[in-house]
Order: sequence, then C-alpha cells, then structure tokens
Amino acid sequence: MLYRARLIVLLGLTLCLSPPPGRGQLTLNPDISVISRFLLSTEDGSRLEEGVRQFSQVDFAFQELEIALQGYLNPYARADLFLTLPGPELEGSSLGVEEVYASLLRGLPLDLTARFGKYRAEFGKINRQHPHMWPFITQPLSQEHFLGEEGLNDLGISLSILLPTGDLYTSLTADILRGGSIGEATGIEDTTDGAPLYANSARLMAFFPVGDDADLELGLSGYTGIHDPYERDRFWYANLDFKYKYRPSTYTALTVQGEYLLNWRTASKDREFTPFLNPAGEAERRSITSSGLYLYLDYQFLRIFSVGGRYDWSQAPYSTEDRAEAGTLFFTYFPVEESLGIRLQYQHTRTESPDGRRGVNFIGLQLLFSLGVHKAHPF
Amino acid sequence: MRFLTLILAALTLWTPARATVRVVTTLTDLADLVGQIGGDRVEVDYIVRGDQNPHFIEVKPSYMMKLKRADLFVMIGMELELWAPQLIDGSRNAQLQVLDLSTAIAEKLEVPTTRVDRSQGDVHRFGNPHYWLDPRNVPAMLEVLLQELIRIAPEDEALFRANRDRYLEELRASVARWESLMKPFAGGKIITFHRSWSYFARWLSLTVVDQVEPKPGIPPSPSHTAALIDLVRTGSIRAIVVEPFYDLSAPERIARETGTTIVRLSTSVGGVDEAVDYRSLMEYNVTTLAGVLRQ
Repeated sequence: MLYRARLIVLLGLTLCLSPPPGRGQLTLNPDISVISRFLLSTEDGSRLEEGVRQFSQVDFAFQELEIALQGYLNPYARADLFLTLPGPELEGSSLGVEEVYASLLRGLPLDLTARFGKYRAEFGKINRQHPHMWPFITQPLSQEHFLGEEGLNDLGISLSILLPTGDLYTSLTADILRGGSIGEATGIEDTTDGAPLYANSARLMAFFPVGDDADLELGLSGYTGIHDPYERDRFWYANLDFKYKYRPSTYTALTVQGEYLLNWRTASKDREFTPFLNPAGEAERRSITSSGLYLYLDYQFLRIFSVGGRYDWSQAPYSTEDRAEAGTLFFTYFPVEESLGIRLQYQHTRTESPDGRRGVNFIGLQLLFSLGVHKAHPF
Repeated sequence: MRFLTLILAALTLWTPARATVRVVTTLTDLADLVGQIGGDRVEVDYIVRGDQNPHFIEVKPSYMMKLKRADLFVMIGMELELWAPQLIDGSRNAQLQVLDLSTAIAEKLEVPTTRVDRSQGDVHRFGNPHYWLDPRNVPAMLEVLLQELIRIAPEDEALFRANRDRYLEELRASVARWESLMKPFAGGKIITFHRSWSYFARWLSLTVVDQVEPKPGIPPSPSHTAALIDLVRTGSIRAIVVEPFYDLSAPERIARETGTTIVRLSTSVGGVDEAVDYRSLMEYNVTTLAGVLRQ
C-alpha cells in the first residue's frame, strides 16, 4: 500500500507540474520524463549445483521506473531529480532518490562549475550513465564488482575546471563524497555509528576531434575511501577509460568504449567479513591488488538498429582468485527515436574461484519506453 | 629633436588593435550571414555542418569549447536546436550572448493551435523553424543580427550597416531572378521528405502535398510509402525533395513505382558542393528544382 500511496503522490505532483493544453511554452515548470524498463530473461545456471544445465522458465520482470524532473533554478544554476522504483518486485519496492543535485553552471571564478547533492560521480565513463542509456542490458562485470550495482552514486560536492589547453577540451573534476556508496560495492555495512567516512574521487578528461566525423575521449579517474569502517582500511582505485565514436552520417555510427579499473587495498577481512588467516591460523592484514576491464563495440545502422559485442574480465575487490569473464552480444531496435526500444542480449559468463568454475548462459529481451522530453545525448 | 619626431610619428601611426567579435552560429547559413555583415570585424564559426541534420546533434565538448571563446551565439530557435542549451551550459561562458533569430520572423508557419504531444511526431511547439529557406525573411534576420553586432562593437556600426545594405541589395536582385525563374511553376506540387520546405514552397507558390515521413521525425513506414505512391500516381506530383542527410530508400521506391523525380536540395550551406554561401545555396536549390519541374 505504501508504494501505491507514494505513486499517487508522485503522479499528482507530475500532473500539477504538467502544463495545461496549449500553454506548454508559457510555463516555468521543469522538464519531466519517465523511463521504464522491463526484462524477459532466462539463464541456465540455477541448477548447476545439481549437475543440471537447463534454461529456466522465461521470467518477465519489471526492471526499473525512472522519473526525471529537470530544469533551471535561475540564470546560473539548474537542478536535476531522478526518482526510481527499482525492480524486480513492482508491488514491494519503494520509490527512491537515485540522484538529486544542483549544478552551478556559470558565475563562479575561473569558470568553475560546481555540483552538490546525491549524484553519480564523475568516475570513469559509464558510471555517469543511467542503465537505459547503455547499449546492453547487463552492467559490465568490473563495474559491478568494484563499484556495486548502483555504481559510484553518493552524497557529495563536486568542482570542475577546464584546463588551459587551447582548443583542446580538457577538464578536471574532483568530488568530496560522503562515502555512503562504498558499502554498495564492499557489502560491508557500517554499524559503527561514527562520523561519515568521506571518500574522494577525481577525473581528468580530454576530448579529441579526429577528423570531421570521429571523436575520441580519454579519461583518467581516481577514487579512494575507507572500505572497512572498523579497521579503517583504505582502498585506492585508478581507472582508465576511452570512447571512440565514428559517425559518418545520421544513420550510421560506430562506437568503441572501454575501461580498465585497478584496485589497491589493505584488508583484514574478505567480502563476507571473514578474517584473513595466515597458514598458522593467525589473523593477518593483506595488501590486495586486483583489476577489471570491459571493452565494447556498438555499430548503429539505418538509424534504428544497432548491434554489438562486449568483453568483460574482472577480479574481485578482496581477492585475485575470484575471477569472472564474459562475452556478450547485443542487438537494439529503436523504431521511433528512443521513445520505444527493444534490446536482445546473449551473455556467457565464466566465474572461477577456489571453490571451482562455472559457466552460465543468459538470454534477455529488454523492453523500454521513454515518455516526455528527449534531451540530446552527450558524447 | 629627431628622437622626438620618431616618437610622434610612431604615435601617429599606431592605433590600438580592435578586438574582433567572436561569433558562433548553429547553422552554416547563419555563419555566412554573420560574415556578410561583420566582414573582417568578426570571427565566425558554426556547430552543424551543411550535410548534417540539425535536429540531431550530439552534445560534444569540442562544441562547448567553440562557445567558450565566443562573444555571441546565433541560433535559429523555435526548438530546431534542442541541443543548444546543453552546449551553452557546458561552455561555462558567463559573458556569452545568445541571439535567437526567430524573434525576427513575423509570420511563422505551422504554429500548433491545439495541444502538442508525441503522437504527432517531433512537432515543433513554436512552429516550423525552417524560415531561413524563404529569402524574404533574411532582411528581418539581418536587422536583428545587425543590432546585436552594433551593441557588442558600436565602433563598427557604419561598417556593419554598409555591409548589410550591400548584401541586401545583392540578395534582392537574386530573389527577383529566382522568383522569375520559378514563376512558370507556380502551383506545382511536390513531396518533401521532412517539413523543411514549407517556407520555401510558400515563397515560390509551390504546393507541398505530403511528406515521406508519416509524421515529423518519424521514419518512413511501408504503409505510408504505399499511400504516397498512390498519391503521386493520381496527383501529378513532379518531384520529391530530399535533403542530403536523409536516406533515399523510401523516396527511391516511390520514384521507381511512379516515375517521379527525386531532387536533392540542401537546407544549409555546405550540404552540396555548389552551396558555398547562402546565395549560392538558394541559387542551387531554385535552379535545380526549376530544372526538374521544367522536364
């Protein structure tokens, strides 16, 4: 009942903000959009423990509903609010705030821009994108393992500056984050009731036009914070990202994107909070270096179709022995711009740990729609 | 004494270098018009190449850099450039002046009078924005542009006015010639791919019977293409006008089935090799279409 009440309140709010017929251009209301994703999927890994490889019954699940309210606050600043109702339980899940932030776009010294609120931090390339913007259904393994399903999304304050590199667009963005996102990735819940365990992230980005029809973006990011609030152990991430896009016409585009994430941390417990022990059975603190990467290629043709593939390889934040590798093929059909979309994906994932190896095949068909304002896509 | 003379001579010859006005336009056509008025007192750049569809432009940091250095950003407006606010925000240029030339257009076409929603396709809420393809709108556009340039660089007012007057004189002569060339084809029926040619057609008294797109921005569908084939067979439609950035599959099917002619016209400077400035763009469009309608 609670979620229904919230939905009714939200719909009421949306209707109040919606301009009356014929007066859309006269209102000062924010832009409103609604994006919803559904997933039909099956996989053959659920009975592997019994020695049976069999595709499960196709499940039709609700993935996510996202409601965005976006607009200018004044001539210098704008605000963005993204509310989400996560799946797969439509009845039981509750509406949450995925992002809410204000951006100061102009008027600051040195042409700085600033942002405060809860937001997906500028760490790597894909972290800033909401999942419906990905050309595939599933999150890259390295992002899921090291940043968590929700990515690096935290309360924070961000400052960004353009570096004096002439005609080349080079920006440096630094964030002070509350550190609340770390638990998403580590699985360690902070029950110390202590002060916030602040984290920091930063990204240096350069954008290179390559001829008339192609562009290349390169990024170098860092992220550090306390991953174990009890031992106050720290982690350090470094991330290299690139995106190359060749668009010879409105109808055709080739995108190649990849990221490599490197993790250093000291830890006395693993992800399950089990203490590390040396051969003598004594507790020990370990220094762990692990990494992960993804690389994808997406080819858009006839404007409404795209087809591509992705390769994933990732270790785990607390172990180099837990590894996963995946190959993914995906196909997308957007019949009318991005208002309605169908995405088909096949993924084979192999995981390897001290307990053994397993391979799982996943087939998914995603259905999505987008209602409201369609903003131009950032590169 | 000789030293003093040299100093006086140097002071006489030296005049402080005047900064040029840095202008970025959304379309190449506007860049040409700005250059015609501003001459060497302006530096002009643009965002959308003539062979690109101005409705769908990706928000690139390199475009933001162009705006970061600009004094003035000139756009068509009427929501043609829905991507422009993101570029302006990303430019971090607090001094940037934005000029929407649609404010100069007295008679806008296809302004919705009822509620607009997505069931009507990508309909523009403020009306059809392709007004620059009627050269009779250019004087009003140049007047707004002139006032803005004078506001930014008042010391160059005389030059700007002289350039504007000279250009309009040349344009008027061209317009008279184009109208004369197209006069025999008044009332001629054409199909266009998108609703880009409404102002152009009104100017030359042509009738746009339908579009290849079933609704603005919606890709051609088999059923609509079949309906267009029937329409062309029964409606003495002489040409299908298609911009260089649109796919030819559906127009070619209609042309194959009906014998009508596809005409590649450009909405912007640089869309075809012949269109190196606004006047040559219109020259190319008018003479090419006249050539087809004459057949």
